[in-house]
Amino acid sequence: MMGRRRCSGVTVAAAVATLWAAASAVAAPRFDVVPSQSSVTFVGSQQGEKFTGTIRSYDARIRFAADDLAGSSLDVTLQLASIDTNSPDRDQGIATADWFNVAEFPTATFRTVAIRSSPVGPVGEADLTIKGHVKHIPFPFTWKSGSAGATLDARVTLDRLDFGLGAGDWADDSVVAHKVEVVVHLTLVAAATAPAAKQRPKAANVP
Amino acid sequence: MALRSTASVWGPVVQAFHWGMLLLLLTTIPIGYYMADLPLGPPKLKIYALHKSIGITLLALAAVRLLWRLGERRPAPSPMPGWQRVAAQTTHVLLYVLLFVVPLSGWLYNSAAGFPLQWFRLFNLPALTAANPALKVVAKQVHETGVAVLIALVVAHAVAALKHHFIDRDATLRSMLPLLRSRP
Repeated sequence: MMGRRRCSGVTVAAAVATLWAAASAVAAPRFDVVPSQSSVTFVGSQQGEKFTGTIRSYDARIRFAADDLAGSSLDVTLQLASIDTNSPDRDQGIATADWFNVAEFPTATFRTVAIRSSPVGPVGEADLTIKGHVKHIPFPFTWKSGSAGATLDARVTLDRLDFGLGAGDWADDSVVAHKVEVVVHLTLVAAATAPAAKQRPKAANVP
Repeated sequence: MALRSTASVWGPVVQAFHWGMLLLLLTTIPIGYYMADLPLGPPKLKIYALHKSIGITLLALAAVRLLWRLGERRPAPSPMPGWQRVAAQTTHVLLYVLLFVVPLSGWLYNSAAGFPLQWFRLFNLPALTAANPALKVVAKQVHETGVAVLIALVVAHAVAALKHHFIDRDATLRSMLPLLRSRP
């Protein structure tokens, strides 16, 4: 770049504009999660009573611009050993092979392959992988931009049997309901501009 | 038909509480001892649900029974030595106390463990406390010790009733038997 001094100002400006357009087509602005103000939870029902499971540990790579959906993407890896259902007995139970089989499948992944617009807001077309089962799901979400960043909110209802969670004897809907509602609330801040910047929450954990 | 107790015999309401609750205890207590070691799975959750449903029923019956009993006269006790009367009275009071303590501690244990409480799949009851591992240990201990004491008291109570019937040959047991109430 420094060697191109002979270019006229107009040429440079045009080149920058072209580069900018190309870059933004590849990737919308990146955001980092503020963990203390974010939650990834699911609401299940056991024997007639709802319970909430919180996935405490996850890594979210978010790129989003409302006017650049092609360059936007949501990419989340969830640590399933971090699930907290407010009952240690139940937490132990759902880590077993009948449920998440955390020993063999420690993570679940969520990746948008596209994000389209709809009259009610953006809708991600996502691949959700849990316990080796991949399911393509629509992921409608609300994006609100603020001065410091943005918030992302979504509610999606899944069927646990699609992912082999509690098959066989556990398939009884009256003991553990098939429908599980996933509720996501992410508070996001614009990521540092350095392209290789590490996720801030991880850096903060280093003493 | 008179529902209330008379000077010689317990009324049908008291008798229904007495024998009905015994039947439920003889069902849910063995279930309780059996279920704990089952492997985790839907059968275990269902049998726990049955144990809890019967336990909640017993708790409700205990409350209604106590209210009814407070408004009842009681048949005149058969003549017996003073220490036996005191022992019988103490046993009866403790039986009433445990009919509350055992199901309530079970409910508390369930709540502290963060488990649901559904009554015969019809409706759910609220948790008495948020999930609490320390309280769970205490409630479990109370529940298990309580039921052991309850069993001991029920056995003592039954042995005493049989002793009155077959050795003393008095009307103590007959006063609680439904089919014999018309006898003089």
